[in-house]
Amino acid sequence: MSNLQKSDPPLITRTAVAPRALPIFRHAGSGLRRLCRMAAVTVTPLVLFALFLLLVGVRPFEIYVAMLRSSFGDAYGFGEVIVKSTPILLTALATALPARAGLINVGGEGQLAIGALFTAAGAVYWISEWPGWAGIPVLAVVGAFGGAMWAAIAAALKQYGGMNETITTLLMNYVALYTVGYFVHGALKDPASFNWPFSPSISDSLRLPVVAGTRIHIGIPIALFFATMAWWLLSRTRFGFHLRAVGGNPVAAELAGLPVTRLQIGVLIAAGALAGLAGMIEITGIEGRLRPTTGATYGYLGFLAAWMARNDPLRCVGTAFLIGAITVAGNALEISSGLPASSMHILLSIVLLAILASGRRERA
Amino acid sequence: MVRKIFHGKFMRKAILWSVLGMGALYLTACSQGGRPVSTLPTGSGAQTQSTDAPGTGGSAIGFIFVGARDDYGYNQAAYIGSEAVEKAFPELKVLRKENVPETAEAERVMEEMIRQGAKIMFPTSYGHLDPALEVAKRHPDVVFFHQGGLKTASNLGTYFGTIWEPVYLAGIAAGKMTKSNKLGYIVSVPIPQVLLNINAFTLGARSVNPNATVTVAFTGSWCDPGQQANAANTMIDAGVDVLTQHQDCTKTVIEIAERRGAMSVGYHADASSLAPKGWIVGSIWNWPKLYEEMVRTALDGKFKGSKFDGKYRGGLKDDVVRLTGFGPSVPEEVKKLVEEKKQALLDGTLHPFRGPVKDQKGEIKIADGEIPTIDKLESMDYLVEGVIGSIPK
Amino acid sequence: MIGELLTGAIRSGTSVLYASAGELIAERAGVINLGTEGAMVAGALGGFAVTVWTGNPWLGALGGGICGALLSSVHALLVVWRGANQLASGLTVMFFGLGLTAFFGRSFVSASVEGFNPVAIPGLSNLPWIGPILFRHDPLTYLSYILVPAVWFVLSRTRLGIVLRATGEREEVVFSQGFSPRLIRTFAVITGGFLAGVGGVQLSVAFTHAWVEGMTAGRGIVAAALVIFAAWKPFRCMAGAYLFGCAQSLQLVLQSRGADVSPFLLFMLPYVLTLAVLFLVERRRQSRIPEELGRVFSGPGGG
Repeated sequence: MSNLQKSDPPLITRTAVAPRALPIFRHAGSGLRRLCRMAAVTVTPLVLFALFLLLVGVRPFEIYVAMLRSSFGDAYGFGEVIVKSTPILLTALATALPARAGLINVGGEGQLAIGALFTAAGAVYWISEWPGWAGIPVLAVVGAFGGAMWAAIAAALKQYGGMNETITTLLMNYVALYTVGYFVHGALKDPASFNWPFSPSISDSLRLPVVAGTRIHIGIPIALFFATMAWWLLSRTRFGFHLRAVGGNPVAAELAGLPVTRLQIGVLIAAGALAGLAGMIEITGIEGRLRPTTGATYGYLGFLAAWMARNDPLRCVGTAFLIGAITVAGNALEISSGLPASSMHILLSIVLLAILASGRRERA
Repeated sequence: MVRKIFHGKFMRKAILWSVLGMGALYLTACSQGGRPVSTLPTGSGAQTQSTDAPGTGGSAIGFIFVGARDDYGYNQAAYIGSEAVEKAFPELKVLRKENVPETAEAERVMEEMIRQGAKIMFPTSYGHLDPALEVAKRHPDVVFFHQGGLKTASNLGTYFGTIWEPVYLAGIAAGKMTKSNKLGYIVSVPIPQVLLNINAFTLGARSVNPNATVTVAFTGSWCDPGQQANAANTMIDAGVDVLTQHQDCTKTVIEIAERRGAMSVGYHADASSLAPKGWIVGSIWNWPKLYEEMVRTALDGKFKGSKFDGKYRGGLKDDVVRLTGFGPSVPEEVKKLVEEKKQALLDGTLHPFRGPVKDQKGEIKIADGEIPTIDKLESMDYLVEGVIGSIPK
Repeated sequence: MIGELLTGAIRSGTSVLYASAGELIAERAGVINLGTEGAMVAGALGGFAVTVWTGNPWLGALGGGICGALLSSVHALLVVWRGANQLASGLTVMFFGLGLTAFFGRSFVSASVEGFNPVAIPGLSNLPWIGPILFRHDPLTYLSYILVPAVWFVLSRTRLGIVLRATGEREEVVFSQGFSPRLIRTFAVITGGFLAGVGGVQLSVAFTHAWVEGMTAGRGIVAAALVIFAAWKPFRCMAGAYLFGCAQSLQLVLQSRGADVSPFLLFMLPYVLTLAVLFLVERRRQSRIPEELGRVFSGPGGG
């Protein structure tokens, strides 16, 4: 939305040569200003949330300490944070990458679910007898394909119908939910589960290897790998440069001869693949079977993580981790203090609101 | 160049953020007021009493619910049970978490409760079974009482009530009271427990009123008032005059029925106060007594080999499931009829599902004279004659 | 059966209609507010709570509208005054609203309200065929019948409306006339939030007489989508909202007729229908998008 900054050059002549990395701040001049700004963005949410906690009659300091303890206090808690952060990181990448190209993909939820659906179907009906070293990579491809296909629908709607991807991906999340429900109640229902709606368990050989004593599976290095790949792609390749150009100024990019639509569609499909991979990791790493509610909320948490990270793939690692830690801590909190899980959603929203309010332009 | 970015800006930012974070903590530490929060107990995991019997030696009991309590329904019934446990065992802390999804997330929650000292766990929703089994494997010293499950483990037993017994009786009452011969059942998804209830209700209604039909509406959700309102209104428009439901929250449907002059049959909880004119009767759980018994068995170390070590199904005769009182508009002869049938159920001379039972297509699903086992009932995948509605195949 | 369908369409569609009308106002001024869902659910809780406390559903409607307006004001603040990305801000406000209402609404889950009840308008409700369909609803639904013509009138025939539309088309013109586009946009967004809040009140206090967290179930998102489908014209918003309501109602009517369709396909129907209609309509209508809004969708990162 264009502000009334008369100093802005008109849209058409804004160049998209370099990413607006330096200077990031429009108004910041000195380092001190930047420091103050960062301080404000970090401290304000914590203070606001503390006020909220006081309002509902709980001591904020103890809450914060309890949160830190449960997430980082012992190996199990820390392991759980890692396990929780993995799909969040992937769905964050699924939001961040298109965002750098100027698209908003909120369909991580649905793409993850469809990826999980494909994975479960493949694992149960196609390659159930395969050994891990062969089956797991195949499932990864299958899951990624599922998510990519789901995103492709939204991409096609954008290409041929001119429909904005934010709305289509959002609506398709609901369609995905019911699609999973359809299969889990029908074609994919476990015959050995007394007609309850979930898929059969996938065979043990197809489960991701796990660090003994915890639930940490090899999904996390995979996710980190993709995060690094995404960063490298965006900042070190020409393709990434084109993407950023499109994100910075699509009109100028088109004038410069870049195939804008094709790039956008491509990145959307790639994002779907990442989210679908997250779905595969959830099934093979944690759940072991497909349920009607598999992967719920991961898509939205990923969205939050991406925007907190200002759509930078490497920063996504940090924010996904942070969100994972907060969510895991929220669990413990509810059990010990009766503070419901929704209070964590409030905290996360406040953090993101603070970032949005800081006025910093997201990297484009 | 990559290195520079990492060690330069990146590092500085990381340090800055952590310093700021610490500062924020100090700031909030100066705040006053509010009740203190129990941080993680220092003793968690420190004492590992190696006892033979699972369930003993704990300092807490954990309950996980799939939804919110106060829903006039499923979770509320379980919550009331947990309160009874709290009262009966004041020396133990009762840990609760609501809105626990039926995914591996539940494992995390149960692990946390165990870390806070729980040696007895109550996962109260069907979908918590698999996560509970996983956690049970890792903690052989913890006893799990799972509600509604069909698989057990050495330290995990499942319990449930044969709620279809009072539902059958409620169907009889509804069949007698309906004037349009159209009954309505609002449910969420076609899982066996739901189909079982629909069928019991239908069989009961048709046993006294062969012209009665039961229209089923699937809403896709266990508690979506918008969908419930839609379904209830649509049914009433189509001529249904008795509404019942299998939902986690039951208030909306009952209130709408009351407003529009239809009668209601309750489920999970006694909501007769919401429908002073139209309430017929309801089927409810009686968990408190059962829970206390289960906890006592576990605490005494007697879980293994007890009746709870396996699939325990309490019935009408064990007072695990009950029929509520009748509403003021129910005539005496209907009450008498239901009482008679109830007595027959208790005596064993009447069984709701004694064959022949035919499905919607007319195929015989339960043979003439056969009394199906609990397992067969709990894996039901069809709807009986007289039900209008279809389930996905 | 058609009668049932249409009655059901109006029942389910009214809350979406309110939110859609509100969002229309905001988008005509050049701001898209995906936080409409949050405003709706805030209104649902606010309205329900006030009705519980005061016993007066009209106060509840007002209270709910104010709650929706308050939440949307956060969005307005971020987008108009801090230059935040509209889509991201809207979605964040949505999460925020959902979290806040889930938290504060816990004690209202078991509360009961008298609320708004269907009132048959004497005379009109006995008209053949359309009487029972249109005139046996609650007061808020009746208000919604006149809301859309009112919005149309204000937008197209009053000075306020022209200024609002101009803000969405060519803000420099507005600026040169001495108005502040920022203020106008803020006003538009807050009004939109108020209407969405009232839509939420209709859902909780009139339609279901209940409060459950997340009860809006995506209606706010659909409302935002419908505005685009409606090519930013008020009467088409109405049609779209009722179409959505119709799809929801169709699902139930089909079930009660015993149709042999999987319930899950029926659950998908409203959303798929919205997408399909958007697709069919979008291609022709793209040129009618208010220019400033168009910059949101094609501008740098949407900011």
